Amino acid sequence: MSVVYFIFQQTMFFSIPLLIVALGGMFSERSGVVNIALEGIMTMGAFTSILFINLTGKNMSGQGQLLIAIVIAMSTGVVFSLFHAYAAINMKADQTISGTALNMFAPAFAIFVARIIQGVQQIQFSNTFRIESVPVLGSIPVIGDLFFKNTYITTYIGIGILVLATIVLYRTRFGLRLRACGEHPQAADAAGVNVYRMQYAGVIISGALGGLGGLVFVVPTSTNFNATVSGYGFLALAVLIFGQWKPVRIMWASLFFGLTKAIAAAYSGIPFLNNMGIPSYLYKMIPYIATLIVLIFTSKNSQAPRASGVPYDKSAR
Amino acid sequence: MDYVIEMLNITKEFPGIIANDDITLRVRQGEIHALLGENGAGKSTLMSVLFGLYQPEKGVIKVKGKETAIKGPLDANALGIGMVHQHFKLVHNFTVLQNIVLGMETVKGGMIRMAEAREKVMALSEKYNLLVDPDALISDITVGMQQRVEILKMLYRDNDILIFDEPTAVLTPQEIDELMRIMKELVAEGKSILFITHKLNEIKAVADRCTVLRRGRYIGTIEVADTDKETMSEMMVGRKVNLTVEKSQARPQEVVLEVKDVCVKSMREGHTQNVVDHVSFQVRKGEIVCIAGIDGNGQTELVQAITGLGSMSQGSIFVNGEDMTHKSIRYKNTHGMSHIPEDRHKHGLVLEYNLAYNLVLQQYFEPAFSKRGFLKKDKMNEYADMLIEKYDIRSGQGKETITRSMSGGNQQKAIVAREVMKNPDILLAVQPTRGLDVGAIAYIHEQLVAQRDSGSAILLVSLELDEVMNLSDRILVIFEGAIVADLNPRETTVQELGLYMAGSRRKEAEKNA
Amino acid sequence: MRKGKFDYTGVFSSVFAIIIGLLVGLVILMICNPGQAFPGFVTILTGAFTHGAKGVGQVFYYSTTIILTGLSVGFAFKTGLFNIGASGQFIAGGFGAVYVGVMCENLGSMHWIVALVAGICMGAIWGAVPGLLKAFFNVNEVISAIMMNYIGMYAVNWFVKSYKPIFNNLRNESKPVLSSANIPKMGLDKIFPESSINGGFIIAVLAVILVYIVLEKTTFGYELKAVGYNRDASRYAGINEKKSIILSMVIAGAIAGLAGACLYLAGTGKHIEIVDVIADEGFTGISVALLGLCHPIGILFSGIFIAYLTAGGFYLQLFEFSTEIIDIIVAIIIYFSAFALIVRILIQKFSKKQEDKHGGGQTPPDVKETQKGGSKA
Repeated sequence: MSVVYFIFQQTMFFSIPLLIVALGGMFSERSGVVNIALEGIMTMGAFTSILFINLTGKNMSGQGQLLIAIVIAMSTGVVFSLFHAYAAINMKADQTISGTALNMFAPAFAIFVARIIQGVQQIQFSNTFRIESVPVLGSIPVIGDLFFKNTYITTYIGIGILVLATIVLYRTRFGLRLRACGEHPQAADAAGVNVYRMQYAGVIISGALGGLGGLVFVVPTSTNFNATVSGYGFLALAVLIFGQWKPVRIMWASLFFGLTKAIAAAYSGIPFLNNMGIPSYLYKMIPYIATLIVLIFTSKNSQAPRASGVPYDKSAR
Repeated sequence: MDYVIEMLNITKEFPGIIANDDITLRVRQGEIHALLGENGAGKSTLMSVLFGLYQPEKGVIKVKGKETAIKGPLDANALGIGMVHQHFKLVHNFTVLQNIVLGMETVKGGMIRMAEAREKVMALSEKYNLLVDPDALISDITVGMQQRVEILKMLYRDNDILIFDEPTAVLTPQEIDELMRIMKELVAEGKSILFITHKLNEIKAVADRCTVLRRGRYIGTIEVADTDKETMSEMMVGRKVNLTVEKSQARPQEVVLEVKDVCVKSMREGHTQNVVDHVSFQVRKGEIVCIAGIDGNGQTELVQAITGLGSMSQGSIFVNGEDMTHKSIRYKNTHGMSHIPEDRHKHGLVLEYNLAYNLVLQQYFEPAFSKRGFLKKDKMNEYADMLIEKYDIRSGQGKETITRSMSGGNQQKAIVAREVMKNPDILLAVQPTRGLDVGAIAYIHEQLVAQRDSGSAILLVSLELDEVMNLSDRILVIFEGAIVADLNPRETTVQELGLYMAGSRRKEAEKNA
Repeated sequence: MRKGKFDYTGVFSSVFAIIIGLLVGLVILMICNPGQAFPGFVTILTGAFTHGAKGVGQVFYYSTTIILTGLSVGFAFKTGLFNIGASGQFIAGGFGAVYVGVMCENLGSMHWIVALVAGICMGAIWGAVPGLLKAFFNVNEVISAIMMNYIGMYAVNWFVKSYKPIFNNLRNESKPVLSSANIPKMGLDKIFPESSINGGFIIAVLAVILVYIVLEKTTFGYELKAVGYNRDASRYAGINEKKSIILSMVIAGAIAGLAGACLYLAGTGKHIEIVDVIADEGFTGISVALLGLCHPIGILFSGIFIAYLTAGGFYLQLFEFSTEIIDIIVAIIIYFSAFALIVRILIQKFSKKQEDKHGGGQTPPDVKETQKGGSKA
């Protein structure tokens, strides 16, 4: 049983950031803006928040520090994503190009600033955030082991974001308008919806969640930040497509990707998997190969927002 | 007399063109006011000004007597102005109800409340006899029903000045009658309607007064009851128009195109009916055969099956007796088939290519224009210059012009020139005059007749009854994918043709099938 | 004739983006260390010449790879495809070249050519996948190419690591290729003594010329571009558009594969390192292509330009700035080059003002409207 718990806990460490970032991407794409810059946004969010943890490490620790770091990560993501929003919405720039530029900028900036501040590019931090066992809940059999032991507060935040995102998208005025903008911005405009404002909102949410996802990815899996989130932003894009731009499906997709990641990272410690003799590289490749296969089956009948990636021009009718 | 809308001396300029030049439009309370003009006359620009999408350089807009500045659709809506756009503004994967409330949602505690909206929509739907299913997805309902949703959208917003932009283009005759009825009912309830169109019959049928625009200028406003159609069309076009085409009696010779028992299956999920249903006909050298019908009755699919752009589930195509059913598009292109496509931007042109490149779109690889895989640019340019001269294709920089920057009429001329120059055995012309002004229409009609007389077989697909009646030597009426009549235009009236097109008569089909 | 219709606004927008990128770079240097900012900035601009001919040779050497990845991206772009997968194709090509370079001993003077061709083929195969998926299943090539980047990286790492004859266990990288597999210097070492430049640069220039000819002069190029601009019209014209899309990606992949081959066969001590990081060269290729307006000749110059900046960047360390400032500058250049549209409008406005000075009384409508109205008219 302990192996199952271990795998499950590891899966959550990998799945939650994917979930958060993919949900962010969902808001952006549902508003009509393709956000390929998620990788860069994650990097920036992780960079500033980890830097904060590093700099305040002597005076602060624990969940309070983590919560402040979360706010910093989200704010950074928002600020950074505004560059994409400006290019995509105001300048009607090619969204792929603008996103690519931000993806290039983020790691270079993180290394450059880290070197200036502390001389080396890796930012060390001490992980004081792990929750051994949640009081009371942790002692529930099975469920306690699965969900409430060896965990992080960010896991619950991620689940909270999922619930919130589903409600916002399907049950609120904002969600209805956002979806209309991604499908048929002219219709939204004619109905009196401010398309540019909705698209800004979509990109900003993706920035906040992207930045948060960067922090959430680094904290449980490492003790230093080396100006990269290892392609998780791109993987989140894959999750988004795999999940067909729908929150609950995105959750399943991120759990699946997280599981393969967890197995790839931890399989040598698990006798059963180790004995199967499947190389770790295969596990590492599975999410990407799976995405390709899913793309083959879904692209003909894709649920992608129709106007996604097309700059909205008010005067074109 | 109360005016609900007064647009006084509106001038709107774009670089290089004055789209609206000192235009005045006054709509009375409780009338149906038609706005008549050709494509490019400035109707859309004027409506965009009224909706605040453009700000005019000069002029005043008064709504219900008060001078107002309209900065966008929201302002217009607040003034009670609503519009049914030519291309419906509906989100395909939203329900009818969601589309209606979008932008005017009822919210409680942050959540959308649909119940009240549903009540109001159902009440409106009953009051004006506008039947809709509030929970159906837009992608699942007919075009006519989509239009009802658009009308309900305006009513839901309590608009009392309703603008209909070319509302009949996509409707069947029955749906058009239904719309006319609805419009009259709306006016009876105290709404005022501005009805944009270029169809004189419809103006005659419902409008009280009519304002005519031509080339961005105001021509006049008339009482519809006191004016005949000829006068209105003269005002619209600026000269006496003779829409009849000069042509001699056709002398059909041997069969060039033979279509045998062609079926096309529907691509939409859940539809089992054939979009093209066992269609057979022949087109002979020296005649123009027209497929007449209301948009969406399988014309597009039939032509695409013949050209190879689309698929067919059964049947065969012969050109000059040769079975071309399974031949490639390239083979058909080079073996006597020319095709003026329905959508010149989608199929007819590579808009980013210059004119010279586009004029050899199906011939660039032939020895005349290439050698061992290399393009002969000088030959392509010579050819382009020749066509530009011969067919009077006008553009900014001649053959070097990027076709995107050309006017619709000249783009179409370029396509016609290209297809006619191939001197085809069979020329498929699908809505060859769509969206063009009268001058360009007449020119293209002449070219088609000339091509017939020089020995081509021509298959024309048209939605315009006048074009069908004037141009064709034989009329095949298509309804729900099947040919329901084979008529001689000399022995047929427009009314009769309309009945076949509407599917209310299909007797002859059995005789001819 | 070509010059007559050449669109100079594109060049202007690139220059505009470069100037802004450099200025922002200068500002960042000033914020970090005002005292050293100007000498540092001068170093970026002139550092490449520090060692004279050798320095220039190094610039050409660095540029070889990114010209080719840039050409790969630019070629695909011209045919309507965004090849973000140059990284995967690059590493696949590198692996092909290294495999032949290490394993095939008996090829003599043909060895380097065979290795090069192996790289090209591997890159082509890697590029073919997104092409096939797009042609037959309508899969967006950006997403599938991103997936192929990761699959390529992991696959190459896996094979290098598990295949003992080409794995250097001590350094966790591929073994050096045999000297017969190194691309000959082709006399370039005489012109640029002591530098790492080799025949790869000449191969890159030839590739540029070849791509230019194919795109601009041949019926094949006519078809590829037509499909890129308008798939439906291409079908109408009788072009096999599926074949065009696939071939286009195969060629783009082949060029990126050639880039990988040229790097690992350069004889400069480059080996495939076993790290789980996507090859940078592919993404730099995107920058090079965009800055070069996706025109082959433009790509040649922009590749050399970025290599030049990178070379200058090395000397920045003298001023205690890290070389990443170059990446930052390049990223900003790309960001602003995406604004090409707005630059175009500014230029049009400017030239219009020059033309008609009488229209002073009018308030110009806002930029978007002007542009739209223009195209409508």
